Amino acid sequence: MINRKITILGPEGTNLYILLQFMLFSVISWFTLFSSIESIEFETTNILSRQIVFSLIGLIVFFLTTYLSIENLYNLIYSFFILSVSVLIGLLFTTPILGVRRWYDLEPIGLPIFIQPSEFSKIILVLFLAKILSQKSYKLIAVLGVLINLLLIFIQPDLGTTMLLLIVTSFMFFMSDIKLRSAVLGLLAFFLLFFIFLEMSFIGDYQISRIIDFFSGDDFSQKQSRLSISSGGLFGTYFTNSQITEVFVPVQTTDFIFSLYSRNFGFLGGLFLLSLWILFFFRVNRIIKLTQIEFEKYLLSGLLILLGVQIFINLLTILGFIPLTGIPFPLLSLGGSSIFSTAIIFGLINRVFIENNIVV
Amino acid sequence: MFNQIRLKFTFITFFILLAFILFDIFQLQTTEFQSTSEIIDQQNLDNFYITAPRGEIFDANGEKIAETKLEPHLFINMRKITNENSASYTQIIQYNFPDLTTREINEIFESKEILQFVTNLSSIEYEVRNNLLTNFDAFLIIDLPIRNYIKNELFAHTIGYLGIPNQDEFNIFQNALGNNQVGKNGLERYYEDYLSGIPGELTFLGSEIIDSKQPIPGRDLFLSIDSSTQLVTKESLQQGIDLANKSFESINEIKRGASVVLDIETGNIISMVSLPDFNPNKFVSGISDFEYKQLDRDQAFNNFAIQGLYPPGSVFKVVAYWLALSENIFPEGLNNKDSKVDCEGSLSFGFDDGSQQVYNDWKLEGHGKVDLTDAIKQSCNVYFWDIALNIWRNFGNTEGESILQEYSKELGFSEKTNVDLPFEKVGIIPDRNLFEEWKISRPGIVREEGWLGGDLMNLIIGQGAITTTPLQVANAYRTLLTGENLSPTLNINAEKITNNKINVSEEFISFLLKDLNTVTNKGGTAYVSFSILGNKVNDIGGKTGTAQNAGDKNNTSWFVGVDSISNPKYIIVTVVDEGGSGSAVSAPVSRRIIQHLREYELTPVEFGEITE
Repeated sequence: MINRKITILGPEGTNLYILLQFMLFSVISWFTLFSSIESIEFETTNILSRQIVFSLIGLIVFFLTTYLSIENLYNLIYSFFILSVSVLIGLLFTTPILGVRRWYDLEPIGLPIFIQPSEFSKIILVLFLAKILSQKSYKLIAVLGVLINLLLIFIQPDLGTTMLLLIVTSFMFFMSDIKLRSAVLGLLAFFLLFFIFLEMSFIGDYQISRIIDFFSGDDFSQKQSRLSISSGGLFGTYFTNSQITEVFVPVQTTDFIFSLYSRNFGFLGGLFLLSLWILFFFRVNRIIKLTQIEFEKYLLSGLLILLGVQIFINLLTILGFIPLTGIPFPLLSLGGSSIFSTAIIFGLINRVFIENNIVV
Repeated sequence: MFNQIRLKFTFITFFILLAFILFDIFQLQTTEFQSTSEIIDQQNLDNFYITAPRGEIFDANGEKIAETKLEPHLFINMRKITNENSASYTQIIQYNFPDLTTREINEIFESKEILQFVTNLSSIEYEVRNNLLTNFDAFLIIDLPIRNYIKNELFAHTIGYLGIPNQDEFNIFQNALGNNQVGKNGLERYYEDYLSGIPGELTFLGSEIIDSKQPIPGRDLFLSIDSSTQLVTKESLQQGIDLANKSFESINEIKRGASVVLDIETGNIISMVSLPDFNPNKFVSGISDFEYKQLDRDQAFNNFAIQGLYPPGSVFKVVAYWLALSENIFPEGLNNKDSKVDCEGSLSFGFDDGSQQVYNDWKLEGHGKVDLTDAIKQSCNVYFWDIALNIWRNFGNTEGESILQEYSKELGFSEKTNVDLPFEKVGIIPDRNLFEEWKISRPGIVREEGWLGGDLMNLIIGQGAITTTPLQVANAYRTLLTGENLSPTLNINAEKITNNKINVSEEFISFLLKDLNTVTNKGGTAYVSFSILGNKVNDIGGKTGTAQNAGDKNNTSWFVGVDSISNPKYIIVTVVDEGGSGSAVSAPVSRRIIQHLREYELTPVEFGEITE
């Protein structure tokens, strides 16, 4: 382990490409939000100023994460996991907001934000899985820990995040040398469990109605979001004076922000944004091949899958292929928790780059 | 062991999925672009505003005098009406609401609105409403407020009425657009923002309601007006007007008048009546054009208490009374209020400016020897003319010549009283400058020489170009009795504006009250009208006024009353336009109101004595 000099931009050798990518995504998000606001006053209620503040704090979070060496991280994972599960249990004792126990309201201590712990617990879950999978053999108790984590998010209730983590977990097991047969069996068990919960009506009415709405093909926000994307055309409306009236899409600045982005920047804009992500994936994939440390391979691929599946679920939702899930688009959607958790992911990846001496 | 091949497989799956997504997006943004634009064009968001319930109005005893009732109104969502279902909706409406004519029903279906009003459902059974809603999804029931003025005409001019806002009102009152109603006059207008409430809003996307905001009701208003006093005031004034019609041969029918009761201590308005009046509820249900024109011709929409401009006549003499005692300006040769002049019924002046030379008192045989008290008691003009002459001789054509006008303005004449009602008029206190202005702006109305001594002679007895409103007169008397010119108000929570403060001594106030008492007492101009009260007149005061009008118009009848000398609580001002002598008509009207205020037995308004 090389001793690294500490600089303002994190420890010596921050990967410029990762940093640039993070900042570029943030700026794209600002431009997208700018198109949906009426004034640019600096207030805590103004979504653009909120997002800019969140992005800047996210940058700090990114560097702070970078200071944590992979070795120290590896040793802290179990503590993190226990902390994460405790925080999720703590949510059960909060008052529900909009009918669900998903957020900690920081208003009483003077911060005008809500913290969504599941945003961070999904990273810790990936870390946890990376650690247990990279060990020669893993105990059943570890698998049980994963299940408890999922269950706690499921009963918030947060069906979207549960499905996301289920898919990420499956992929990560799939990546290890697990026999395909047991993988399939494990998945089947999961689905069985899911339907048992469904029967026991653990799933709220509104979730059922979302699913019913979806299959009857008349979910209003998804129809509107398809219209919004379509109205962008090839080049978008941001730089042209479009005669087309604004399309109303609910929650257009958070979950449905890609439809706002597509309307503003058109197909070319969408292609550009997704290409940036593909480029990012290729970069990270190179390290996965390069590094000899088993844990780093699992960690990076797990984080990539986490980001990738989030993007897919988000896109499939706003295009109306799957029911509403409430999964934000990383770094594009408005919201502090999502930005900070993605900043942590970028920070972790950056640290792996640093330790493998890849700077650009 | 990490399986690199399976990772590759995962990534390949990702790319296939991504390609699929990109293809879908590409299709949306290219081949479907045109049809999307058409759909969006039909998707414009539309708002439908729901009128907020207005705040209610209560009188001094907490009795409700204007209320807001919520009544269910049936609307039809026109965006859900198609060629196929319009026939069945027509049938349903015909069947359930036989009162609607075929033409009215056809008009409903020709509407270009999103939501078209069908009918008020308040008299329709609940089951029918429920059936309409559950079986026909284009129907919508919205509770809308209906304004009801419980006392009908009684508060027509104070509360005012509502109407559909015009362009100016959209700009002035922020909630006027959404409520589609605005206070047109009276308190409804003055407190529009306070009473109106914030309209609710339904947001439509196509035919669907995607957002709704409940209306926020307006705040309630609590008045200092007492309904029973208001009623007695109105009855008495009406009796006075009828009496004047019976007693005088006037060219015009006498029908206009105003009466105000003002609380001396607080400046609150206890009653305010203007006649003729109208029923403000007619504006709620829609007033016919004919009826409106009729009322308008009678000037029924004017609140004469604050908009009627009349020369005050002798009630104005208290200004000179106050000036005389404050400045020690008495008729020439006198130096205190108890010295007397000999009133021979007329006065000749040696004006060298072309003014009238001989002035005749209303009482041709004269009042004999009069001091200041007698001059008020008998309303002797000669005494006050002597004061005017003294002012003119001493100050004429100097800076001090407008001393009488300055004293008038101190009492609030020609200024707003700042009553909490809209469209208050201020009247005129003429002086040299005004006459110079008029020579340019209103040529022909003043003579070429401008302001002359004779004009001051006229002004001091409240005649000539001077005009005042009844409320100004009430407020001026109140100011003399308290030293503070406060804005008279109707809303008990209104912020009081101090218009002015004057210096009046306790001694002056008791002099004034005592001298006002002589008017209603034996030998006073109002004695005949008050004699029915017997020895109770010893504790009542007032001042009569009879102002001459130009042309054929009969005199304006004035009376300013004080309900008590020992414990004065209220000022009562009554004006009957073309009512003739103040002591004959307005004095008995005020007397009846005082009877009510002092809780004496009410007696009818009867003709008094013709004096000034």
